Amino acid sequence: MRFVIRRLLLFIAALFGISVVVFAALRILPGDVASIMAGINAPASRVAQLREQLGLNRPLIAQYFDWMGALITGDFGTSILTGRSVTALIGTRASITFPLIILGLLIAMAIGLPLGCAAVLARSPRVRAAFHVLAIIGGSVPALWGGLLLILLFGKGVGLIGVLPSQGFPLDGWGKPGSAVLSLILPALTVGIIVGASLMRYTRAALGDLAGSGYIDMARSCGMTRTQAVLYVGLRLAMPQLVSVIGLTFASMITGVMVIENLFALPGIGNGLVIDVGNRDLIAVQSELFLLAAFFLGVGLVVDVLHRMLDPRLKSVSAVMEVDA
Amino acid sequence: MSQDNGVHAGSGATTDASLASRAKNPKKNGPKWWLISLIAVIVACAVVIGVTVAYGKKNDSADASAKNMVADTVTIGLKLAPTNLDIRNTAGSALDQVLIGNVYEGIVARDSKNQVAPGLASSWEESKDGLTYTFHLNKNMTFSNGDKLDAEDVAWSINELIAKQYHDADAITAVSKVEAKDADTVAMTLKTPNSNLLWTLTGRAGLVFDKDAKYDLKTQAVGSGPYTVAKFVENTSITLKANSEYWGKNKAKTPTIVIKYLADDNAAVNALKSGDVQVLAPITESLAGPFKSDSDKYTVKAGNGTDKYVLGFNNASGSKLADKRIRQAIRYAINHKEIIASRGGADKALGGPIPSLDPGYEDLTKLYPYDQAKAKLLMAEAGYSESNPLELSLTYANIYGTELGDQLRSQLKPIGIDLKVNVVEFSTWLQDVYTNHDFDISLVDHNESHDFYSWADPTYYFGYDNAEVQKLYNEGVAATTDKERDAKFAEAAKLISEDAPADWLFNYRITTVTAKGVKGFPFDLNQTVLPLYNVTYSLAEFSQQ
Repeated sequence: MRFVIRRLLLFIAALFGISVVVFAALRILPGDVASIMAGINAPASRVAQLREQLGLNRPLIAQYFDWMGALITGDFGTSILTGRSVTALIGTRASITFPLIILGLLIAMAIGLPLGCAAVLARSPRVRAAFHVLAIIGGSVPALWGGLLLILLFGKGVGLIGVLPSQGFPLDGWGKPGSAVLSLILPALTVGIIVGASLMRYTRAALGDLAGSGYIDMARSCGMTRTQAVLYVGLRLAMPQLVSVIGLTFASMITGVMVIENLFALPGIGNGLVIDVGNRDLIAVQSELFLLAAFFLGVGLVVDVLHRMLDPRLKSVSAVMEVDA
Repeated sequence: MSQDNGVHAGSGATTDASLASRAKNPKKNGPKWWLISLIAVIVACAVVIGVTVAYGKKNDSADASAKNMVADTVTIGLKLAPTNLDIRNTAGSALDQVLIGNVYEGIVARDSKNQVAPGLASSWEESKDGLTYTFHLNKNMTFSNGDKLDAEDVAWSINELIAKQYHDADAITAVSKVEAKDADTVAMTLKTPNSNLLWTLTGRAGLVFDKDAKYDLKTQAVGSGPYTVAKFVENTSITLKANSEYWGKNKAKTPTIVIKYLADDNAAVNALKSGDVQVLAPITESLAGPFKSDSDKYTVKAGNGTDKYVLGFNNASGSKLADKRIRQAIRYAINHKEIIASRGGADKALGGPIPSLDPGYEDLTKLYPYDQAKAKLLMAEAGYSESNPLELSLTYANIYGTELGDQLRSQLKPIGIDLKVNVVEFSTWLQDVYTNHDFDISLVDHNESHDFYSWADPTYYFGYDNAEVQKLYNEGVAATTDKERDAKFAEAAKLISEDAPADWLFNYRITTVTAKGVKGFPFDLNQTVLPLYNVTYSLAEFSQQ
């Protein structure tokens, strides 16, 4: 309990630090939203007028506290250019990105975990080497190239077996769940294969370490076969490590899938962030970055707590340390 | 670490026979495990593919049943997306393109030859001195919300533009007041005659809004045009629905038009191939190649436009390019033919600041023909050679790609210019080049029509200050006949081109691809003026092919 509270306090402190860094970093960028709105045929007076209207002339400290004050009450502000609330903007984009990464992660797990286990269990060194090569190839495929390859294979109107939509998200969004899921399959496969390969390597490494450890010897001397020992004892012991890896992979995928979103013309979070930065829609960008950072930290927090639940040994260690301190 | 496994498994250093025999079991089971997981993966993939094949077939049959029909939805793929719908405040031709003439209408309209045509006003008169315009409006006009559109709305819209200094207000500074004489007559009074006035009113300055309607301009649009905005997703798509109450005779032929903004070129091509969009504009010439050869299914055509790829020099005194010889050398050294050819050959050479669709156009490409020897000579006079090059920077926005910068660098190298190419974000370009004038050479697609004034304004980022040009320009603007105006502009344009304050790389012509069965889609000027009322898509024609 104490651990959770301490982590929560740290979480809040980190968020505060992030808000300062994000705010400051964005003000260093050259260019501003007023000149974007005014365009390349407007006189300087028009830019000045817009800056005044949008409150861009106000002191930075005042702008920061306005933003922070609103954030505390749960108001993420309104995007200057689109006129929509940042919460709504992120909501629409997240309704594409989250299903995409969840689907991608499920595919990655379906590929990575069994193959990782299989790589450890395989007896013949040749088969093991083959798994090794597979993991390296899968992990080193650039997302763009992998995606293009999949489009050339399965893209509707383009591919050899052209059955899947290769770009765009249905206009009705999740109003048409069938076509929405369909449009996510190819991008999710692209992400899934690449992330799956790295997951496979993690699984193999974690499980491989354990397979040579005393735990497995012990289990086997209790009468388990090696396969049983690795799957029941080894996997259980590797679980905390794998949960960390999967959790952090999930968090980093939110912006990591940006290339994929671009390739498949999906208006997701990463894609939107790039557009907003390009337009210098700073209120939107700073709230988006803040939320992303909060999400990342949140996933870290959950992973840490899960870690302790899955590995009771950590509890006793920290208890001892707390007594020492 | 995993290499250790074999040792452990093989060691079997136990005396217990039953344990030893169990220890061997994994040897048999071993291959099974990875085989099972591999099979599982393959099966999973097969199921996914199978399901989608089945699903895909279903879609096809749905399409087939719709044969012999005029589609009630046409989907159009464009490139540059608007971030909001606020045509009063937000710059960018993406808004003009989709909203003007379709959703909002102006007091006068523009045809695809860039000429002024009747709009909300069916006719107009200009006083002899050019200081008063009287517009006669059509009768029984309404906005899409049912409100009446009369002279009051027209006068209010334009007066409001001037009072609030909305976007493009600076284009009609000559206007002193706009009055509603009666329900369908509007009088416009000018301080000085302006030969560009009518054309300017075909754009944002002449748009008419409902003075009684309250709505969020950024996300909604209430106009009088043949279409209404049914749905807008910023940076992504706009859905237009036909305005069933449209007052005019050009009623929308297709009930729903969806505009999708496809920033990625490959995604755009895939969208067209898969039938998700029926039109793609623009498409690069190289990507259009496969569609050209598939002429049974697609029509590919390049249209005229006013896009000028301007290689603008910093003409301000103190700049490295204040020396006219260097500017001239650059113009002689650029091989325009080669650049146009490498882009696919659709673009047109342009020798001066006025494109062919604008008043005062003259072919000026002969002024600076490609002549490397002459360029070298001029550079030598200025004190530079290939071994002692002049260092210049070229700054442009990343939307134009890196090829142009590379081509220019290699074309200018032999004459003794070491070009440093900075490809930056558009907002950085706006800050450094446009606002702060901190650049040597800049490259922009100045796509606006009638933007010749930028050469008569020394504070514009080119910093070009020529009293003779300014005088001619002002005389042209004040001219009361088009002929007189065109002559003055042409004379000024020639002076400018001779002075070489910039090089005009080419007049970009937009290439458009339409699927067979699409009719009425305009090819000329379609990045700024895109009337959609006439667009139809007949599926029968497509499926017969």
